[in-house]
Formats: sequence, C-alpha cells, structure tokens
Amino acid sequence: MQDEKILILGIGNDILKDDGIGPRLVKDLQKETFPEGICFKTSSMGGLEILELIREYNTVLILDAIKTKEGIPGDVYYFNPEDFHETMHLSNLHDVNFITALELAKKIKLSIPETIHIIAIEIVEDLEFGRSLSPELEEKYPEILERVHDYLYSKLFPVEG
Amino acid sequence: MKTLTIDPITRLEGHGKIEIFLTDEGEVDNVYFQVPELRGFEKFCEGRPVEELPSIVTKICGVCPGCHHMASGKAVDAVFGVEPPPTAKKLRELFYMAHFVHSHIAHFYALAAPDFVVGPNASPAERNILGVINKVGIEIGTEVIKQRRIAQEIQALLGGHQTHVVMNIPGGVKKGLTEEERDDIVKKAEGFIEFSKFSIKLFKDVVLGNKDYVDLILNGPYSLKLHSMGLVDQNNKVNFYDGNVRVVDTEGKELYLYSPKEYMDYVEERVEPWTYLKFPYLKKIGWKGFVDGQDSGVYQATPLSRLNAADGMTTAVAQQEYEYMFSTLGGKPVHATLAMHWARLVELIYAAEHCYELATDPDITGKELRAPIDKIVGEGVGIVEAQRGTLTHHYWTDDRGMVRKVNLIVGTTNNHAAICMSLKKAAQGLIKKGIPATEGTLNMIEMAFRAYDPCFSCATHSLPGQMRMIVNFYNSKGDLIRTIGR
Repeated sequence: MQDEKILILGIGNDILKDDGIGPRLVKDLQKETFPEGICFKTSSMGGLEILELIREYNTVLILDAIKTKEGIPGDVYYFNPEDFHETMHLSNLHDVNFITALELAKKIKLSIPETIHIIAIEIVEDLEFGRSLSPELEEKYPEILERVHDYLYSKLFPVEG
Repeated sequence: MKTLTIDPITRLEGHGKIEIFLTDEGEVDNVYFQVPELRGFEKFCEGRPVEELPSIVTKICGVCPGCHHMASGKAVDAVFGVEPPPTAKKLRELFYMAHFVHSHIAHFYALAAPDFVVGPNASPAERNILGVINKVGIEIGTEVIKQRRIAQEIQALLGGHQTHVVMNIPGGVKKGLTEEERDDIVKKAEGFIEFSKFSIKLFKDVVLGNKDYVDLILNGPYSLKLHSMGLVDQNNKVNFYDGNVRVVDTEGKELYLYSPKEYMDYVEERVEPWTYLKFPYLKKIGWKGFVDGQDSGVYQATPLSRLNAADGMTTAVAQQEYEYMFSTLGGKPVHATLAMHWARLVELIYAAEHCYELATDPDITGKELRAPIDKIVGEGVGIVEAQRGTLTHHYWTDDRGMVRKVNLIVGTTNNHAAICMSLKKAAQGLIKKGIPATEGTLNMIEMAFRAYDPCFSCATHSLPGQMRMIVNFYNSKGDLIRTIGR
C-alpha cells in the first residue's frame, strides 16, 4: 500500500451551493491524518479533463454531486466504473462522459488508475450561486463526511486478517 | 397537437430541452428550446472588490473559464481606466490562443467529428470520439489528448491554473515569462500548427470528399440568413482578444462597427415568457420575431459569423484556409449552419499560428507587466470573442471599486434566437408527415444545435441523471402515446 499513489478527487463548483459538496468534503478530509501517499485535489471540470487529473495514480476516489429522480438529499451512493451512474461532473456533456473518457484512455494506452471508486452525494440546489450548502444538506453534512470517511478507509486501507 | 420532447440534449454542457410541437397531421408546427438558468451571480458579486471578479468568473463555467477571465480582466481595466502595457496584453493573448486551441480541438474531435467521420445515422454507441478514433486511427486519439494537454499546460503556466485562472490583475498580469519558458511554448505552438493543419485536412478529406455531406451542408435544412457579429482589429481582421465589434448584414455589408463600451447602443435583450434565457438582438433594427432575412434583428455570433464579419485573418495559413472555405461555399457571407465546423477549424489554425507569433515576439518576455493605477472610473466593459460567441462583461462600482452591478452577455446567449430557429428549420425539414422520427432523424436535428457548440453552463449547471435522449409523443390531450429512447 505504501508504494501506491492514491488520489481523493472532489469535483464540483464551490460557489454553486450544493454543487460544491465534493470539493468541501475533500477539504475537510484533508484536515485528517492519513497514511502517506494520499493526494487530495479539487476540480470543477469533467470530460477529458478528468483523465489529466487521475492519470498518474493507481487508485482514485472521486467525490461528486448527483441528482436522481426520487433521491433523498444527503444520500450517499457508491459506484465503480462497472456500475456507473452519471453524476454531475462525470457526465460533462460538453466533451465526453466519464466512461467514454476511460475507454478512450485504454484505447490510446494512456495510464489510468487500476481502481476507481466513485462516491456521489444527492444534492438539492445547484442553480444558485452561493458558498453555503442548502439547509437540508448542511444538516446532514457531518453524517455525510463520516460515511465518506468510513468508506474511504474501508476501501483504501482495509484491515488485514 | 402532439408534443415531441428531446431531453436531455446529448454531448452538450448543461441541461436543455427541445420541445417539438407537431400538428395533428404529424408535421412540425413549432419548436421551443429551454434551459434552466443559474441564479444569483450578480448578487454573489455585489459588494466585492471588482478586482476579485476575474478569478470568480472562472467558476461560472467549466467549459470556457479562460474567456470569462479575459473579458473580466478587460472590464476591470476599464473600471480603473487603465490600459495594460504591451507585454501584459500579449501574455493575455498568448494564454487565450492556447485556450482556443484546447477548446476547438475538443469540440471538433468529441462533438463535431462523430457526426461526419462516423456518420449522422450511425448507432449512438459508435457515434462518439471512440468511433472517430476507430475510423481514423489510434494515433490520432493520442494526438488529440496530447495537444489538448499541451494547450492546458500553457494556460496553467501563464494563468496560474488551467481553469481557475488568476492571471489578470487591474492594468496587467501577475507573472511574466522567462526565456526558457518562451522557448518551450514556441515548440508547443509549432506542434499546434501541425495538428491544426492535419485537422482541417481530415475535415476536407472526410466531409468535402463526400458528396452527400457537402449536399447536407449546402442544401440541407440547416441554413439561416442572419446578420453576423465578431470582434475585429483595426484592419477588420479577426481578433479574439481585442478590438471593435463589427456586424455585417445578410449580404455581408457592414452594418455597425462599435467599441465595446458602446454595446448597449447596439444590442438589446428580449425576454420571452417560456424561457429564462434572454434573446439578444440588434437594437437599431428591433425585434421582429424569430425570423431570418435582411429585415430581422436576430444576429449570430459564432466562428462562422466571426469569419463573415471580418475581412480576413492575420496569419498566413488561416488566411489561405479562410479564402478556400468561402470560395468553396460560394463566397461571403456563408449562412450554412454546419459550415460553423469548418470555420472553427480555420480559427484553430489562426489560434495556433498566432500562439507561435506571440511566443516569438520579443515583447513577450518583457518585464513591464502592469500599468499603474491612479483612479477609479467606476464603470467598465470588456468584450472578447469566446469560442461560442462574443462575450461581454459590464461592471459598475462605487468610488472605492466595490461592485454595484454586473451584466453579462455570454457567447451562447447571443445565439439563443438563432439556435431556436435552426432547430425549427431542421425539424421541419427532417420530420415528415406519416414517417416516424428515427434516432437518426433526432440526431440530425441535434446537429443543427451542436454546430453552435452551445454551452449553457454559464446559464445552467444542472446535468441530467442519465446520458440519453428520449423522445416522447403526446396526443392533443397531452397523453403520452409513444416513447423513443436510447
């Protein structure tokens, strides 16, 4: 595990209310003590740009916002590329979606992480500028952070034996 | 009356909805295009020091942050009544050329080429960048990623970050360029020129080499006779960063040539009850509705409009390609919507060549990066050409430089009326009485829209839950009678 290069990537716009949940989680996770070799990044870009952000890592955990039809704000979803659901930024329709970007990377033999985890948080408001989360999400934020933290540990640093 | 809904729009930033209203006979009666609007940007800016805006506006849009940064930087210069020194101006332009290279490459290979290289009626599973690479070769895919990355590296070097740019400060730029860094950019710009030449050759081979495609461009339901807008230099040549706004009419005759600060005398915005997004039009002509022709007040601000509105390009290869494009398409101005893809590639060559020109300019490594500030004018307008159209930032401040009011007219908004009209024309031309609309038909309607490279993330950010296109048919009572999806 020590030789692994791990990236925790929060994607979203931190001045667009709930859209910024990914970057906010990353900033808070960064305050905690983690084993060496973990990098933290934030970005508001999707599409091909994601390839540039993740290509030098073995493992990446992406935190993004999501809106589903009957989702409950604050719900946390876990995906991997095999059971991927389009999230806010990974479905950047301006260039290509995340899966197409990954397929493209494989096709042109671009180095991409062996393991990709995606955590998506159900949001309420992403059409209004503001630095704060919507009240529903703010109320659940400590719980969301804890769940993300637990997931991160269980996947990236599983207890052996 | 039946309603046909395409929702969401594929391969484009932002959540839009196209609503096509059919008559009882199954022909297209009307088309509406809707996008939700982001709220509260003006409020978010109010009360902040105006010099913070160039960094804040990069977060409006995940697609063209560099354009907002440049328009904002120029508006802030104007608020302080200051003109950046030559080195600072050229550094900004150098950044901006890299931004254009990066964006135009992405649009051509990811959004435009699938329709032509793979085919407008091909299966959606193949009609994407992977399908393009399958046809033209893996090495081209590698090159797309490489050139795009290099353009991003130049932006990151000059802008402090490739997306959250912090380059522009009132009267100049934060950081200069060393000789070493310049030499590196020169090499990179040489690569851009080669790749842009390759890209236009690919377009010519694939598109112009196919009679059906040429026929589709020239005679398909994709033409609108509208006025053309674009920024020009003192010789009326295309300029992305600076100059005056020129508008030519549907015959190519100059209607207006105005400086950025005069824009409100020439452009007005109309509000329609069925959409949040406004419809800019030429104020002196007035709003005559969603109609084309010489008497219409609707204009376009696209790569093709920029080429229509100008007398030429300032760089050699781009000028040759400019002349070739217009001579092939029957002379200026060109009104074929799908020719926007070609115009975008002419612009790609210009951006690559101009990047090289700027990098080899002795001023570029100059040390004078900022002009002194000694006053606050309190109002400023900055206009640049964004990839998607003329971009205007207008700020008002109090006497301490704190923002009182902000007005933006973003690239795609200029084209809002034209996009609605293009969609209607394509739908009317492609949906025929008694013939069910296929997936291919719907894609060909979207092609009218996609040519504009529209980006509504300045106006909307919400992306749909799934990457799909659904077409719903409703009868005159509003009951869903049929769904086509992919």
